[in-house]
Amino acid sequence: MIEIKHLRKEFDDNTVPLNDVNLVINRGDVIAVIGPSGTGKSTLLRCINMLTEPTSGNIIVDGEDITERGCNLNEVRKKMGMVFQSFNLFGHLTVIENIMNPQITLLGKSRQEAYDRAMELLSSVGLSSKVFNYPDELSGGQQQRIAIARTLAMDPEIILFDEPTSALDPSMIGEVQSVIKLLAKSGRTMMIVTHEMDFARKVANRVLFMDEGGIYEEGTPKEIFEHPKREKTRRFIQRLSSLSYRIQGIDFDIEAMNEELQGYGEKLLIESERLSKLSLAIEEICINTIADYSENPDIIVKVEYSEKKDILSLIITYKGPYFDVRDTDSELFKELLSEPTTSYSEKTVDDPDGFVNRIDMSFKWVEE
Amino acid sequence: MKRIAVLIVLFLSLVAVMPLFADDVTKQSIESFDGKPIGVQTAVLYEELIADRVPNTTFQYYTMPNDMILALQSKKISAYLIEQVGFGVQKANHPELETLDELPGYIDATMIVGNNSKQDTLLAQLNEFIALCRADGTADEMYDYWINNFDPETSTCDTTGFSGENGILSVAVEGGYEPFSFVSNGSLSGYDIDFICRFSRAYGYTPVFYEVPFESIAPGVETGKYDIGMNIVVSEERNETGTLTDVYYSCPVVLVVLGEQKSELSFFQQISNSFYKTFIRENRWKLFLQGAGVTVLITLVSILAGTGIGFAVFMFIRRGGKIPNGITDFFLWLIHGMPTVLLLMILYYIVFGSSRLGGMWVSAVGFSLMFACSMIDMLRVGYNAIDKGQFEASTALGYSDTLRFFKIILPQAARHFLPIYRNEVVTLIKETSVVGYIAVLDLTKISDLVRSRTYEAFFPLILTAIMYFVIETIMTYIVKRIDISIDPRRRSQTDILKGIKEWE
Repeated sequence: MIEIKHLRKEFDDNTVPLNDVNLVINRGDVIAVIGPSGTGKSTLLRCINMLTEPTSGNIIVDGEDITERGCNLNEVRKKMGMVFQSFNLFGHLTVIENIMNPQITLLGKSRQEAYDRAMELLSSVGLSSKVFNYPDELSGGQQQRIAIARTLAMDPEIILFDEPTSALDPSMIGEVQSVIKLLAKSGRTMMIVTHEMDFARKVANRVLFMDEGGIYEEGTPKEIFEHPKREKTRRFIQRLSSLSYRIQGIDFDIEAMNEELQGYGEKLLIESERLSKLSLAIEEICINTIADYSENPDIIVKVEYSEKKDILSLIITYKGPYFDVRDTDSELFKELLSEPTTSYSEKTVDDPDGFVNRIDMSFKWVEE
Repeated sequence: MKRIAVLIVLFLSLVAVMPLFADDVTKQSIESFDGKPIGVQTAVLYEELIADRVPNTTFQYYTMPNDMILALQSKKISAYLIEQVGFGVQKANHPELETLDELPGYIDATMIVGNNSKQDTLLAQLNEFIALCRADGTADEMYDYWINNFDPETSTCDTTGFSGENGILSVAVEGGYEPFSFVSNGSLSGYDIDFICRFSRAYGYTPVFYEVPFESIAPGVETGKYDIGMNIVVSEERNETGTLTDVYYSCPVVLVVLGEQKSELSFFQQISNSFYKTFIRENRWKLFLQGAGVTVLITLVSILAGTGIGFAVFMFIRRGGKIPNGITDFFLWLIHGMPTVLLLMILYYIVFGSSRLGGMWVSAVGFSLMFACSMIDMLRVGYNAIDKGQFEASTALGYSDTLRFFKIILPQAARHFLPIYRNEVVTLIKETSVVGYIAVLDLTKISDLVRSRTYEAFFPLILTAIMYFVIETIMTYIVKRIDISIDPRRRSQTDILKGIKEWE
């Protein structure tokens, strides 16, 4: 139904959110588009109805290339509905006119037909009582449901949702999501850009994970959410945030690292006590043991925090001979290792760069 | 008590002594006014007569002779210069005015001949006619009639009997300058008018008179807009710029000072007297009505045309093309940046200089342009105030550019700019008061002309202001009604669902 070939979008400031996107949307698809901010999810959606003009590439809708100059975009757009993050209802019109007027103006329907259809849709989104209200008299959730009804009134072949719940109060997200879920069940073709993972998982039959200027990984909800194949997908799904350092030689600025860890912890709301345990472990393992005993220390330190699992983990890999870091004079570190919330494991791995020794530690948190 | 009594005695004695001072005023020398402000009419150049005797005086320039009476009464100036004939009329209405016994000098008046194809012929004919009048006594006869024995109520001249076989003469006169040119019983009269009518009959012309402020006469004649400009006082500088005829009359100039205030009339008598003079005598209310009509007409035409032009230009530039926007910005800068009077004078004398387009239509063009500029600004403000989402949502639905503008954007933009529009209408009405500069008899100009006859200052000014208020109120009321009628939020539910069956 819609085929996207080698789509590229470059903005005036030379950022390239979409480098080379290829995608086929089939009738009946419900596609959820997820990914970190700034990876071109919305840009992709807006290119499909040419609200944003792509720099190059082709978009073929029902056999017609809509990126070509002669294409009547207004006709193409009538076949594609779009629901916006900020609703964008027409402020000078009542609810009923917001739904009626486009039908009359663009589809040439009679006022009566438009009215009947509008009332039918209003009751399907549960807002029959708001006929004569103006948009600014309604809550965000109500406005978004009206916007969906307005889109549906045009009988589009596909509906593009651009973060439909991002501007809503948490209490109103549910009402809008349930309307969209209902639409998905009725077999409509839809493409939804969203940050709500659970919603994406429940509503979609295809999930696109976007990163690195294109579709980074694609699959069914099960594939993407339970068994992501690629690193960035995995990290995104588990909501991992990480920091890494390389310690070479003995003049490593540990103070600067500690300061950065402090900021990292504040950002992710990690308890400061847990963070100081992490600092202690890094200092003890890397500086006091490995760097102290080896001739040319070369260590990679990686700190990861999974918001979803609430686990702070530390991965240390180093070159050269193996040291047993548990064999230490530091009582504090020994005490830390013995705590039930701390886990420790070490192994030897194959690594082409020679970082063959690996230590994994993780720190959980239990409220006392 | 004692102190108050002393004060009262002091005050009374002061009052008693004051007339004594007043008696002395006419004996003062011109030199005693050195350093004090002296009034003079703009462009008559009487100040040159005494400038070297009062080297430290700053001259204050007034457009209308009667404004100088007002300035003298309110002590803004200590004295003013005027021709003896003009003073004669003023004295009849303001007995408290006195002149110095010492005369500042005499002035010689000539005519300036238009810079066009008729120039050489006209100059020769006028000089010939001046010589003829001097020779056969007509000049003396006219001087006696208009100047020595002038009576503002009865003095008239014959303004008929033109054959017009040699074409039309356009003649610029002040119009508010008794006894030379003034409006009497709704038509122009005076020495200048009489002179030109006699000349036209003798040489086969038909004169058409334009009432123009003194300072605009010379520029208008130099551009060829008028064939003859009347009552030009001779000076060296003037001689360079235009072609002047021989002197057609001379008269003494006097220095006027304030004498004793005499007023036996009660306040209400004064008011009713003023009212009678301003409105009833010579059916002057008709003039006011006519002036108000002109003001309303110019305003209405300018609002309609300006709105139309502004809208059309905006439709052309709204998509943000650099070149059309650049050109529009240039014109906005040019027109907005220019004082209204200058814009009108440039249009009248230069742009439409050679056409016979009347001052009223030139004003309408000028104000339409200005209103169009405001309209473009207003539309831009309104347009830019619309949230980007409204454009995106309508585009995504499939609205074409034009449909989107008229159905979605404009109705919302209108809410933003209509309040400004209302203010612009009021501003426009007020701005039209300068059209007198290009010979349009609008409300302000009529009020000036009437004031020049009645020698009343406050009453006509305040009444004219009231008339402006009335016009403004009516106009803004109309705009407000339109504003309300297109406000989408004021529609009833029945209106919204017109033509729909069975809704509750």
